[in-house]
Amino acid sequence: MGRKPLIVLGIVVALALVPLVVRSDYVLTLLDLAGIYAIAVMGLGILLGFTGQMSLAQAAFLGIGAYTSGYLTTHMGWSVWFAMPCAVLLSALVGLAVGYPCLRLSGHYLALATIGFGIITQLVLINWKDVTNGSDGMTGIPPPQFGPWLLDSYGRDYYLVLAMVVLCAYVAWRIKTTRVGRALHAIRENEIAARATGIDATRYKIIAFVLAGAYAGLAGSLLAHDIKFVSPDSYSFDQSVVFLVMLILGGSSSISGAIIGALLLTMLPEVLRPLKSSYIMVYGAAVIAMIVFMPQGLVGLFAALRARFEHRSPPADAAPAGLLGEAEANAV
Amino acid sequence: MHLDPVADMQLLVSGLAIGSIYALVALGFVLIYNAVGVVNFAQGEFVMFPAYIAASFLLPAVTVFGTVVHWQLPVLAVYALVLVLMVVFGLLFNRIAYHPLRDRGWLPVVISTIGVSIFLRNAAQLTWGSQPLVIPSFFPVDTVAVGPLHIRPQDLLIIGVTALLIAFQYLLFERTTLGKQMRATAQDRTTARLIGIRVGRIVAITFVYSALLGTISGLLVAPLFTVTKEMGGLIALKAFAASIVGGFGSIPGAIVGGLAIGVIETFGGFYLSSAYVDAIAFVILIAVLLVKPSGIFGERVAEKA
Repeated sequence: MGRKPLIVLGIVVALALVPLVVRSDYVLTLLDLAGIYAIAVMGLGILLGFTGQMSLAQAAFLGIGAYTSGYLTTHMGWSVWFAMPCAVLLSALVGLAVGYPCLRLSGHYLALATIGFGIITQLVLINWKDVTNGSDGMTGIPPPQFGPWLLDSYGRDYYLVLAMVVLCAYVAWRIKTTRVGRALHAIRENEIAARATGIDATRYKIIAFVLAGAYAGLAGSLLAHDIKFVSPDSYSFDQSVVFLVMLILGGSSSISGAIIGALLLTMLPEVLRPLKSSYIMVYGAAVIAMIVFMPQGLVGLFAALRARFEHRSPPADAAPAGLLGEAEANAV
Repeated sequence: MHLDPVADMQLLVSGLAIGSIYALVALGFVLIYNAVGVVNFAQGEFVMFPAYIAASFLLPAVTVFGTVVHWQLPVLAVYALVLVLMVVFGLLFNRIAYHPLRDRGWLPVVISTIGVSIFLRNAAQLTWGSQPLVIPSFFPVDTVAVGPLHIRPQDLLIIGVTALLIAFQYLLFERTTLGKQMRATAQDRTTARLIGIRVGRIVAITFVYSALLGTISGLLVAPLFTVTKEMGGLIALKAFAASIVGGFGSIPGAIVGGLAIGVIETFGGFYLSSAYVDAIAFVILIAVLLVKPSGIFGERVAEKA
């Protein structure tokens, strides 16, 4: 374990050096996007991976964050630095408002209720024209100003996104490794047993919903100021599915997995570009193959490979019994 | 808001028609859920895909993979062809999306069906392009006058076919060995296997039957809407909502829930807001989940273990 903080630090330093080596605005844009998605996916990870509560509305929370930020900066003339926390706060509050009635639901019911919430949110974004400007979306959202620097080019935005990813990953890691994380984990494995040991499952599930909303709100706000434009299409059900797939691909209860999943699936369409329009089809097929052959996601796969390579059993925390593992087959 | 009896009757008929479509798709959800304990998120593609295939053979000229083809066949031949293809489709779906994951809990299967859904939507776009197709109706006129009412004959056809299918299903489940085996499998798979029912085969048949219900709804609804890759998605989500409103896992619940959502949505779209018409089903859903999560006919609240 002693090496782990050093490895993480090394990766962060390496990532910080990327804009010095990669001069392409295009690649940096993609990395920005991947980082922003990684934040949203980590939020979903807290809800689904840590706590076992399904949500297919993460993109809707992203949209709430993006539109809040967009509205406060363009219509009200607020500074980005005030708008961003408001976006996080509002998304978190909506997370509370959605999470509370959803407490009674689990599994498929919860999945559907969140889909319903996502669709209603999108309809509101399209139809509440005074605030959202309808299907045309909002343009001219200002980039953040940091001291003397206007974070408008992607190379500069990159550092903001990177800092936020590191912050969010740190918070998620703190949650995972402390009392709250263990409570969430217990709820995921067996809610009744968790309650029996004195865990206030209601409270912790609401905390998970609020955190997922807050992460998505931050991601949405960053996205709005990064691409300077919001439109309802970006926050659809399909995008929520993409977040879910990113999380599952990485490994649902792993923080590094969430980031790797977001990075890979943001880059994948670009790699598959030679396939042109058929890439999403390949993507759909890849999802099925992934679920069938890699139930623990990439992180689980790496752990298994490493274990095989080193001729020993994987460490207990490296290959968590994921939501997709055999262990959970009858636990729902 | 004033009430207009003539308009209301017309709305009722349209509402029952679209509600019948939701009911058929909801039945597909419920039968699969009862048989294997998971929700099939590709149910909408069971509606969309056959509609595209039918359109390819019903229209004089269709663009397939960028080339214009002339595959027009007689209407009945087309319907027979589509039904046969969808039987194969149901078997393949069971084999690829469900069977390999059957012992791994519900979430992997849900994600795999979402994968199939993404795959099929984009396969459809790739094959038929993004231009919507229009399937001609059987009927030479859009509406017929019945007294003071103007009724779409397609609506009446939808309601009639749905009623026949429900009667057929009732007989299938109550009077045939196959139907009893399906019910036994739905109630308790282990016991069903113990008394000699070949559960794997029954599950495959359930997927085929559900695919056929989707097919029939797709063929019925296509003349009212255009055929697009998105056509199934929203229908399926509303049908799923309907099945929960009715009481998830309950067959009468799926039918009543589907009809209720169809009628309420049609009236709501007319009297309240046409912009938010697609939200109505989900508002009802969330209200039902809060007040009575077991739905109208349901007893269980918790998921099946």
